[in-house]
Amino acid sequence: MARPPVHDYDVIIIGGGLTGLRAALQISRADLSCAILSKVHPLRSHSVAAQGGMNASLRNVPGSRGAIDSWERHAYDTIKGSDYLADQNSVVLMCKEAAATVIELEHMGTVWSRLENGKIAQRPFGGAGFPRTCYAADRTGHNILHTLYEQVTDKKIPVYEEFFVTSLVIDSGQCTGCTALEIMTGTVHGFCAKATLMATGGFGRIFSRSTNAIINTGDGQALAIQAGAFLKDMEFVQFHPTSLKGTNILISEAARGEGGILINRNGERFMTRYAPQSVDLAPRDVVARAIEQEIVAGRGFDGGCVHLDLRHLGEERIRERLPGIRLIAIDFAGVDPITEPIPVQPGQHYSMGGIGVGIEGRSGLPGLYAAGECACVSVHGANRLGGNSLLETVVFGRLVADSIIRDVRSEPVPASEPVLSAMKEMEEKINGILGRSGGEPLFPIIDSLKETMDTKFGIFREGSIMVKGLGEIYKLRERLGNITISDKNRAANQALIRYLELEYMFPVAEAVALGAIMRKESRGSHTRMDYPARDDDHFLNHTIASRQNEEIAITYAPVTLGMFTPEERVY
Amino acid sequence: MKVKVFRFHPGMEKPRYDTFMIEPTQGKTVLTALFEAQSRYDDSLAFRYSCRGAVCGTCAMLINRVPRLACRTQLGSLVAGNLDLPLSHYVLPLLSEPWDKREEILVEPLPNLPVIKDLIVDMETFFTCYRAIEPVFRPGDPDPEKERLMTPETVRELERYTTCILCAACFAACPVNGKNPRYMGPAALAKLYRFRIDPREQQGAARLSSADRPDGWWACEFQTNCRRVCPKGVPPDMAIGHARQELKKIKKDRDSGRKEP
Repeated sequence: MARPPVHDYDVIIIGGGLTGLRAALQISRADLSCAILSKVHPLRSHSVAAQGGMNASLRNVPGSRGAIDSWERHAYDTIKGSDYLADQNSVVLMCKEAAATVIELEHMGTVWSRLENGKIAQRPFGGAGFPRTCYAADRTGHNILHTLYEQVTDKKIPVYEEFFVTSLVIDSGQCTGCTALEIMTGTVHGFCAKATLMATGGFGRIFSRSTNAIINTGDGQALAIQAGAFLKDMEFVQFHPTSLKGTNILISEAARGEGGILINRNGERFMTRYAPQSVDLAPRDVVARAIEQEIVAGRGFDGGCVHLDLRHLGEERIRERLPGIRLIAIDFAGVDPITEPIPVQPGQHYSMGGIGVGIEGRSGLPGLYAAGECACVSVHGANRLGGNSLLETVVFGRLVADSIIRDVRSEPVPASEPVLSAMKEMEEKINGILGRSGGEPLFPIIDSLKETMDTKFGIFREGSIMVKGLGEIYKLRERLGNITISDKNRAANQALIRYLELEYMFPVAEAVALGAIMRKESRGSHTRMDYPARDDDHFLNHTIASRQNEEIAITYAPVTLGMFTPEERVY
Repeated sequence: MKVKVFRFHPGMEKPRYDTFMIEPTQGKTVLTALFEAQSRYDDSLAFRYSCRGAVCGTCAMLINRVPRLACRTQLGSLVAGNLDLPLSHYVLPLLSEPWDKREEILVEPLPNLPVIKDLIVDMETFFTCYRAIEPVFRPGDPDPEKERLMTPETVRELERYTTCILCAACFAACPVNGKNPRYMGPAALAKLYRFRIDPREQQGAARLSSADRPDGWWACEFQTNCRRVCPKGVPPDMAIGHARQELKKIKKDRDSGRKEP
């Protein structure tokens, strides 16, 4: 029998998006061995879809009345936007690092959009007091991802493409690697590492109406909680106000940053009622709720949407600043924004919660680190501002790598036996799944779970409805063991991958549901019809979800406050 | 509507075509149709997917004998003939499957790359070409404290090429790639040209040298299929044309320089 494929590195990075690539670069510069594992080619990561930009107080564009931007103002906007749930030390760190991060990417070759004077261009974004968002037209994520992939390619950092991670390996309470299924061959591999970095992105696809790539199924969050780490603030799920009606493909906030306005079926610019000062550029939670309320009140258009009107911007500006948005509207809605408004509706967009980590990126499980959207270092709190997610990925991708570099030098080389036995277990598990017959099909269960999350844990939430939803999640989970996959081949078996993804979706959905049910207040993206007010006395706390035997238990941990005192959010 | 899909996996003697009945509702894409076929009829059907919004470049495949992104291509538009796209000198190595264009949609893997399973091809050849051009920014001077300045006009020039999503539709549409497996292909060459015209690099024509060989710049026949199929409007033929002109001029200058005493 052939020797089982076990690979040894100082560090393995799970996920090949912006966070994973940036971390890999940093680690390779420190002369440590590292490899990236990703279930898709890195360039197919969801980072590629980020449109609007990256916030940094570069001060290339003056604010209104000549005001000067600063990292403090960036931090204030971020913390206010978070409804004061963000950890202020993490936010301060991110905002201080922001300008250098944008410049660093420029030095790596990213083609940022420019002002007439040649400096990096910046535009207004939701919830921000300044035109602070640096951008590359409306393809910012694409440009940065390609830049970082070029760098990783140049450094010859090994990438295990289309490797689906199946478990984390734990040896005496320490994470020492993982097992992974090579999708195209069906072979189970083992990876032995002193440190494992989770950089797997968000879990948007546990909802049916999501802007996320189809691959965003919460694998990293599930692996982490199953292995003994904890998840934080999972109930805070961002619904983007403007996703394309029907397909829910993202229509960037940049469209409103450039001057686009929202209109209901009466032709009214309704945001003036909900956010008199910021109007269409209020933060996403505010705008998403407003649109949903307009639709529920019967002031939406057919099919449950409102209109995003860009026509007054003129053809030239649309072609120059929003070319990708225009193509998306034409390709997927048959609408050219130069001549017609775009039909939009809110759709799940971002996971503020994730694997709980400290400011240095260490999770609750020794040897396991996390950064980017899959993590919750808590820079977004209860609501993320547009332009802060790309920033987080690159800043914390680098910083978590620095922590890892410091930590692994003193770590012993992990033993290979636990990895070998985990591989054997995984082999048996997969054979078991493929060996089943006569059960029920996989796909309707995936659809039902997503439907439950959409209808019971959407923008507006209510206790009794959510309790029902949690019951549905449990019932669906019971059917997992009865699912039969017809394709019995190991190689390129996508149904098997979808099945394993579904297994991951359950603990993630459960953590979202429990967190949402138990948080009896409204804060940021989490809006309770039965508890409409924010309750700082009881809930100025992070929700901590951890595994206790087979159940998920919820506890709370204090928010790190700092220079900004919680106050009412007015926009 | 009938969607006729190429099926193959190692162990099969030869490929076959399966036909799935799919309701062509308004706006339904080929990718959605494939998901329907996979979930309703045959869970062994294999195809790549990710963003479903035409930005990640994962789902390029041969649709009605033209390389396209499955997520961007609508069934209705195909049947209505709105997407007909004549390609130049395009000889397809796949089976000559009978196909009624008026009521069927034919979905096959990208040509010029080996098939792994069904619609999934091995992209290694494509990315080997990508790596061969040394696709990394090499600035001409030490990093300044702030950004290097660049005009909006320069950005517009660069964006012509930086919008490439490396989906390999051009590689699969190129007749030269079809007959010469060593040809670097349109995407890699366009990528290289993007670095050549980046004013921050300051390498001049030397930047073009990694493709200055018979299987690089010089193999292109300017059939322009690459530009026609590109979902992002990138013109690799233009990059290749400019690069060749520049290299020719340098060689000419060098030759005439030698003649002088």
